[in-house]
Amino acid sequence: MKLVQRSSSRWVVPLALSILAATAGAAPLMSEPEARRFLGQTSFGPTEGSVQEAQHYDRAGWLELQFAKQSAGYNGFSYMDPNPSVGCPDGSPATCKRDNYSLFPLQTRFFRNALTADDQLRQRVALALSEILVTSGDTIRQPYAMANYQRIFLDNAFGNYRDILYAVTLSPAMGDYLDMVNNDKPNPKKGSEPNENYAREVMQLFSIGLTQLNADGTPKLGSDGKPQPSYSQDTVEGFAHVFTGWAYAPRPGENPRFPGRKNYDGVMLAFADHHDDGSKQLLSGVTLPAGQGPQQDLDAAIDNLFNHPNVGPFIGRQLIQQLVTSNPSPAYVARVAAAFNHNAQGKRGDMKAVLRAILLDPEAQAASDGNFGKLREPILQITHFMRALGGSSDGVYLRQAASDMQQPVFDPPSVFNFYTPNAALPGNPSLKGPPFGIYGASTAFNRTGFFNTVLSTTGVAPAKDVPGATGTRIDLTRWQTLAANPSALVAELNRVLLGGTMSAALQTAVYQAIQAQPVSNTLGRARTALFMVAISPEYSVEH
Amino acid sequence: MKPDTLWSRRRFLGGLGGLALSSQTAWLQALAAPLTGGDYRALVCVFLYGGNDSNNMLVPTDSAGYAAYQTARGSLALAQASLTPLNGSNFGLHPSLAALADIWNQGKLALQFNVGTLLKPMSKADYLASLASRPLNLFSHSDQQLQWQSAVYNQPSATGWAGRIADLQGSAAVPPVVSVAGNALFGAGANTASLSVPASGSFVIRGFGNTPASNPAFQAYTQLLAAGNSNAELAAAAQVMQQGLSASASLNPVLTGTSSVASLFAGQTGSLAQQLLQVAKMIEARNSIGATRHIFFVSLGGFDTHADQLNRQDALFKQLGPALKAFYDATVQLGVANNVTTFTASDFTRTLQPASGGGSDHAWGGHHLVFGGAVKGGSYGTFPQLVLAGPDDVTSEGRWLPTTSVDQLGATLARWYGVSEGDLGKVFPNLAAFSKTNMGYFG
Repeated sequence: MKLVQRSSSRWVVPLALSILAATAGAAPLMSEPEARRFLGQTSFGPTEGSVQEAQHYDRAGWLELQFAKQSAGYNGFSYMDPNPSVGCPDGSPATCKRDNYSLFPLQTRFFRNALTADDQLRQRVALALSEILVTSGDTIRQPYAMANYQRIFLDNAFGNYRDILYAVTLSPAMGDYLDMVNNDKPNPKKGSEPNENYAREVMQLFSIGLTQLNADGTPKLGSDGKPQPSYSQDTVEGFAHVFTGWAYAPRPGENPRFPGRKNYDGVMLAFADHHDDGSKQLLSGVTLPAGQGPQQDLDAAIDNLFNHPNVGPFIGRQLIQQLVTSNPSPAYVARVAAAFNHNAQGKRGDMKAVLRAILLDPEAQAASDGNFGKLREPILQITHFMRALGGSSDGVYLRQAASDMQQPVFDPPSVFNFYTPNAALPGNPSLKGPPFGIYGASTAFNRTGFFNTVLSTTGVAPAKDVPGATGTRIDLTRWQTLAANPSALVAELNRVLLGGTMSAALQTAVYQAIQAQPVSNTLGRARTALFMVAISPEYSVEH
Repeated sequence: MKPDTLWSRRRFLGGLGGLALSSQTAWLQALAAPLTGGDYRALVCVFLYGGNDSNNMLVPTDSAGYAAYQTARGSLALAQASLTPLNGSNFGLHPSLAALADIWNQGKLALQFNVGTLLKPMSKADYLASLASRPLNLFSHSDQQLQWQSAVYNQPSATGWAGRIADLQGSAAVPPVVSVAGNALFGAGANTASLSVPASGSFVIRGFGNTPASNPAFQAYTQLLAAGNSNAELAAAAQVMQQGLSASASLNPVLTGTSSVASLFAGQTGSLAQQLLQVAKMIEARNSIGATRHIFFVSLGGFDTHADQLNRQDALFKQLGPALKAFYDATVQLGVANNVTTFTASDFTRTLQPASGGGSDHAWGGHHLVFGGAVKGGSYGTFPQLVLAGPDDVTSEGRWLPTTSVDQLGATLARWYGVSEGDLGKVFPNLAAFSKTNMGYFG
């Protein structure tokens, strides 16, 4: 294996030594607690198997292994007519609309992949990207459409960010969601102007953000001591004019039309006669000349966005927040932004370089201050628990549980995701706590409901109206065998759910709860012990 | 309140969990509300997420006004005959808000024209001359939502204006600010936090049986939560759960119970109606909850109508109109119409000029509704000239420069709620920039 990182010289030497050790087949390269912590950041949670596997690698080696894994993907979702009464005519099974005009089948597939497929890092990064470059099931209701969209992130998780930005921009799902599809040049007769929706959000959310940033993600302050906007209303209008003249691609046998019939396969198609031909003011003082046509304008606009100096710190910081911690230090953001700006070959936007910088950083490996960590968002709380305990699920109950905790998969309330990256931490507003945006008393209670349900003796029975359903279940047998010995039970929970970090206070609380049940009630003891850890603050917050 | 009383009460609540709340409610009630007026009062914020196009919520009906509207609005113009007239005014409501005309006819609906985020009164020339005089990040959803909810426009704010009102009241087992629409900055105080309750289903911790308080595991858990954490992220997680446990005992029966006003919402399946029914239930149960003041937060999303606006806004208004009317009727039936004031809020309004796709883009000042038994119906503020690139348009697509600030709207409501003149500036730090701090909705 070749070392490709060059920005963090501090760990290059020990890493090289550890790789030598790996090839010599020596002792584990990561301790079990290290592996569990690392897999919390790089997968949907450690399993007994994934911990053992990862211990044969060092962190960098494990990343290389994952980079090479093929996507489990979302195959099997194919085109359906946009009109439900055509796709599910009278006499169709009652489940037809659920399976073809709601995200149900994709959401359950998401959880099945997350629990069992081995492209864990790819899936995890794809989820992170889907929460930055957002579309939602509130508009994109057809599962094949959302599957196509999410495939962009699975396919490019280890690719280049420019390709992601380009593919998202021309995606018919995004086109529909933020109204770039059928966006027409100015029409004096109708009195209409180009639609500003995608133009605004691609800048605010998908690339550069609202204010000019230093390389470490802190705002650049002007002479008045205030943050400086990174674009103006004129820039929004410039990009809005760039993004004119694109329509759905025709289905086989159809003629190209503007606007065309809804079709979420392929990429959007350019129509020069609906594209605004004037010059356009973009970022960084760039003005596109008149008469370039839709494709050349689009390429130039994506380059203009992608090359803006904000992208590295803006996207890098959010990826850190998604994968590692809610409050990365500016120096950490700067190291990740540097990797975004230049990989080992000097290329910009290399996602592998960015991910190495995020996940191999000293700050990710060991908390740099007392407030390190992040509240597990519901999806990750669910998958971590199920994987750690070797649970099985067809995804049907898990999709509902995530929804009850205000995180329905791929179905956030707006393009601003389920929560914003700048949400203040309750009780400590100088810090960020993004996932707390959807953590209130009501959803906290619903989390306890999830744990209580999956820890019930029978789990959740297979849904009768889902073909091949297997239900959701965690086998508690091995926990029952420990129930007679509360100390051993607590120690095993500490190992499996908290990677050996369980506080004395939590150990005491769990111990007390176990002792309150008679020794003979092994199931009650096992369930209580698991539940107590599951709903503890220290399991809720990955730290 | 003496500092030691505050300290001991906080410690008590922190360790309280969900235990034995009912015996404490009278005591909590006595502590709450250093506000003027002894009666119950509630504010209800109905946040229309996405930026409601208020240009089509309130439309001029006089011939000159409608003609100007129609010219600039183009394909988005509502037919004049379709508007619901508001008798005695020159304005009509969107046809799907027709239910609200009844509140208008009772003289209990106020129309607040062209209100928005605003640091100080300013002209279009002021706006064009100086970036610093503008609120930060105009036309951005997230920023303008937060600015409406915080009434702080030139820097990020950690608190919302309802939260700052709650700070004046002090903490209680059921805090005065209750959201049925998830967490929102609106209710975040410096020393208090708003409570998020569900629009449906139970509001109780699971897994500890029907009587958690007698369960040793639950006792161990509440002790764990009270033990504190040096890591702020863990402390925050514990704090949220503790807050829920403190409120659950008194609120769960209310939220899951039946109500005499439920029938008023019959047939309304939308989320907003569900949320407002929960609010009505909590108002009905105000004595058992021990509340003399409430600020409720509910929301309806989907107003970001960049395309297909006529259909999409119509569908949303078909939820909004009947839900607001049912809620008003509920307050009448409960005998508290004079004690409850409801108002709308939104990110911004939308451009008067249409955008490609049959929608409109992000704008600024817009019109809002304030209603309740205590409200003096009528028109407030100044209606903008509906002229593209005209004196009220800061661009050329019809983005109105607000002539009333959120501070002025909020201060009028807060004063009625019981905030003293001297404390208004603590809630609305920017209020001093405006000479008129009472819009007069309450006479």
